Amino acid sequence: MEFDIPLPEELELLEANSHFFEEEEDDDYLNFEEPPYPYLIDSHEEKEDERMAQKNPDIGQSESPDINGCKRPRSLISDPIVNLDEVSPASEKRSKIDKNRVEIEDEDWLRFSPVKEVVHEVEEVMLQETILSRYASEIDGECVPITAPDGGERVYAKFCRALGDEEVKKLDVKAKSDGLIKDSINVLLQQSEKEAFNKVLQTSLEDLNENISAETSVVHEKLWVEKYSPSSFTELLSDEQTNREVLLWLKQWDASVFGSEIKSTTEEVLSALKRHSTTSHHQKSDSAFTRKKQFNRWNKESSGYPKNSDVSNSNITDKIDLWNKKSKLTGPPEQKILLLCGAPGLGKTTLAHVAAKHCGYRVVEINASDERSASAIETRILDVVQMNSVTADSRPKCLVIDEIDGALGDGKGAVDVILKMVLAERKQATGKENIVTGKTSSKKERRTAPLSRPVICICNDLYAPALRPLRQIAKVHIFVQPTVSRVVNRLKYICNMEGMKTRSFGLSALAEYTECDIRSCLNTLQFLNKKNETLNVIDIGSQVVGRKDMSKSLFDIWKEIFTTRKMKRERSNDASSSEAKNFDFLHTLVSSRGDYDFIFDGIHENILQLHYHDPVMDKTVSCLDSLGTSDLLHRYIMRTQQMPLYVYFPSLVIPIHRRVAQIQKPTIEWPKSYYRCRTLLVEKQESLRSWHHKIPPYIGRHLSIKSFVEDSVSPLLHILAPPTLRPVASHLLSDRQKEQLAGLVMLMCSYSLTYKNKIQKSDPALSNLREDAVSVLALDPHLFDFISFKGHQFKHHVLTLAMKQVLVHEVEKQKILQASGGRSEILNKPEIKKTNQDLARKTSNESQRNPFTPKPPPVTVGIATTSKPNTSEVKKPSRSAINFFDRFRKSRKDYEDPEDVQKRATAKRDSRPLLFKFNEGFTNAVKRPVRMREFLL
Amino acid sequence: MEIRVKCRCGEDECSEWTIVELQGVVETQASFQGSIQNLEIGRLCHTDSSQGTYTFTVGYHELVGSKVTLKKPLLVLKKLQLDEQVSGKATELEVVGIIRTKILFKTRPKPLISGTN
Repeated sequence: MEFDIPLPEELELLEANSHFFEEEEDDDYLNFEEPPYPYLIDSHEEKEDERMAQKNPDIGQSESPDINGCKRPRSLISDPIVNLDEVSPASEKRSKIDKNRVEIEDEDWLRFSPVKEVVHEVEEVMLQETILSRYASEIDGECVPITAPDGGERVYAKFCRALGDEEVKKLDVKAKSDGLIKDSINVLLQQSEKEAFNKVLQTSLEDLNENISAETSVVHEKLWVEKYSPSSFTELLSDEQTNREVLLWLKQWDASVFGSEIKSTTEEVLSALKRHSTTSHHQKSDSAFTRKKQFNRWNKESSGYPKNSDVSNSNITDKIDLWNKKSKLTGPPEQKILLLCGAPGLGKTTLAHVAAKHCGYRVVEINASDERSASAIETRILDVVQMNSVTADSRPKCLVIDEIDGALGDGKGAVDVILKMVLAERKQATGKENIVTGKTSSKKERRTAPLSRPVICICNDLYAPALRPLRQIAKVHIFVQPTVSRVVNRLKYICNMEGMKTRSFGLSALAEYTECDIRSCLNTLQFLNKKNETLNVIDIGSQVVGRKDMSKSLFDIWKEIFTTRKMKRERSNDASSSEAKNFDFLHTLVSSRGDYDFIFDGIHENILQLHYHDPVMDKTVSCLDSLGTSDLLHRYIMRTQQMPLYVYFPSLVIPIHRRVAQIQKPTIEWPKSYYRCRTLLVEKQESLRSWHHKIPPYIGRHLSIKSFVEDSVSPLLHILAPPTLRPVASHLLSDRQKEQLAGLVMLMCSYSLTYKNKIQKSDPALSNLREDAVSVLALDPHLFDFISFKGHQFKHHVLTLAMKQVLVHEVEKQKILQASGGRSEILNKPEIKKTNQDLARKTSNESQRNPFTPKPPPVTVGIATTSKPNTSEVKKPSRSAINFFDRFRKSRKDYEDPEDVQKRATAKRDSRPLLFKFNEGFTNAVKRPVRMREFLL
Repeated sequence: MEIRVKCRCGEDECSEWTIVELQGVVETQASFQGSIQNLEIGRLCHTDSSQGTYTFTVGYHELVGSKVTLKKPLLVLKKLQLDEQVSGKATELEVVGIIRTKILFKTRPKPLISGTN
């Protein structure tokens, strides 16, 4: 980056015809060769002049007593009032006149230049020699005794009848001539007075050179940020690429804003540009010439094209080609809104202003401090878009909406208005003249007048929710941090200009601390300069660094926690201080964000993905320990509602940071598991609860959901799937098996369990247990869900598909029977199946009865039942040996139970011999002629 | 062709018949297959309102119908085979009744559910 410092001759010249220059200045704002400084200095000089003019009377006033004292130093007629006290009434008038004389004289000499004054005084001293004396006798004629106020010395002053100046002055001189008053004191007084005066002169002269003066200039001093804000395109600190694209975007408006004259901009400008980049900076006339040709409508401007001396020409040609291509389209650019976003202090606003000015727009800024309600914004935008001021500044306007994300509610108003305008325009463009429900004329006007001026929006957080719609239609540019060296260079330059002594090391530390926020850097520097302090390199944080208030996103916070900040040039002696700084930084970071739950969730989810060196797991353990502490704390706060305890959360982050932070960047994921877990929990609870409601109350009341899930799911599942059941026809089952089946069906009914067709989820734990992949019969409240954990293979026996189908059928039948069958049926049900404990006992009893098997404990139902097949196998032949039909009959008897009910239910129906079958919707009747003959036969 | 119909009864006393027209079929229960004689079909009730709506209960269905006058009355005849030597075989038709109205059940039957047990 280059800055043009004008040569001294030039400066002189400029100063000489500063008036002329000032007039020019306004028009030449686009001129790059024009450095910003002459004007500043110029104005400063003027100010100083004014100040001097103001100061002179000041000096006069402040000095007049002294001079009076000097005039009558020994006689000590320093105070006229003292004089008056002792003057006889007769002589009062005269003394008054004298006094007046003196004052007039004072004023007189004050009008002269100081040098003259001194001479004058000497004269006076010479004249004042004969009037005053210590002794009254020495004075001929009338005399007045005068007592000095401090010393108590008494002198006699001669009353002078003569009204001339000389005589008045003689009063003083007289005393001197006396010899009692030493000349040396007088001389000393004079000298000191002179010195004081010179000092004042000196300082006022210095003020001319130095911009900052001690007291008076405080009010006038500008902020450095404003004073040194880039006024031309090349001075911008922000990224070159971004700058160019912003400018390009603005240029695309030229065709529609300034008319179509631009189309011819090719060779001339290009050549001019090339020349510019190579030749010296002061070729105003040339560029002005080319420029005027293009913008003859706007001929005041002398030069406008960026002179990018630091970029290769090829780049420029590229850009211009692109621009030409685009400018061939007569309309404004595709995206009518430019959205600049980035951290504070990177120069977004400055870029917008500079670029807009550069392209010949008058910037109209809507700031966060302005009213931002939708209606107010609308009028302002309309004003910008439609009106053109009649006054001298007839440049087209460019709207800059700063901090559009600033105030959420209000900012949204602005966003809405802009969106409305753009969208309405789009509709117009597509030819769909939508019928607006009769609104005000302003709306119609707006519809006819599209958004014809560039609008630049500036925000800090691109992903603010209010900006979401805007983001889609706007051209977005994200500002990146400029390099530290660039910022430091600029800071150094400014410090040099301001005469502040800094070291580049300190400046770079400052820049790093503020994250290249040049505004805060400058403000800090100016503040320190004012206080005459130097930049303290070691602890910048403790010095006043004003930063724009902003909170970081959660991801940034996690990143900060998991990474160590780069400590460049860190020395051993300030290691502890940097640690403390780091400590403070993290603490403020976390506490300013506030979402402690989320922060800790994020840490919890991501901490194990980090690659930190931890051979004995102690780091992990201690991290998890502090996470546990945070959990406990959170729980306690939630329970007792003691919100002040939240203060202690941020400090919990720090040990974690100290433990696991690393230099490499971690890949951080948004914590999802908590949410997932929560939804899953709710879902399962819901399914359990609905199932619990379906269970008949006489069972359900003994079954709390919690205890069911924690204790009895697994046994119940064992019971529900006895491995002895074989999917064979019911008449082939043994007696015991039938009993078992009936028991199972009853159990399932009373627990309102059934199997249902379900689409198999891709759950690996289940899929290898189920043979069917597409759709399987699963328990209706999917009880297996409650015992399936990740990586846990449950050892429950799962019934075969055929068995399940049988069960489904049986259960359905049982349900129908229960619904239609009498209550008597229900009454004897509890005996068969009470709870699973009952059944367990029953089965164990059965196995107990069995002589072959040892008595199994009731818990191991699975084992007990697995031993059964052998026993039934053994038993079956023996039974069949007795009587085949006997078995059949018995089993029939067993199974008569439901059929009986069915029979009884249908008995009544069967008692009716004839049934009516309704033929709906059609009849077989056919009309056809019939002969009587057919009847008669 | 003129057919002579012999009516034994007098003109006034000629018995009045009625058709019951159902949209559907009356079927016998499977258990009563083969022996349809003397089975009760159902119960036909007449509510004594001016309109004259009839309810007919068959099996577990209840039908609701109304009386409709036929456009052309029908005659119920009984064919008699007279075995006389004089004229050989002769067929005689005897009037059993006259049908002037029919009870039409054209609505969907209402199922009767026994909620007793």
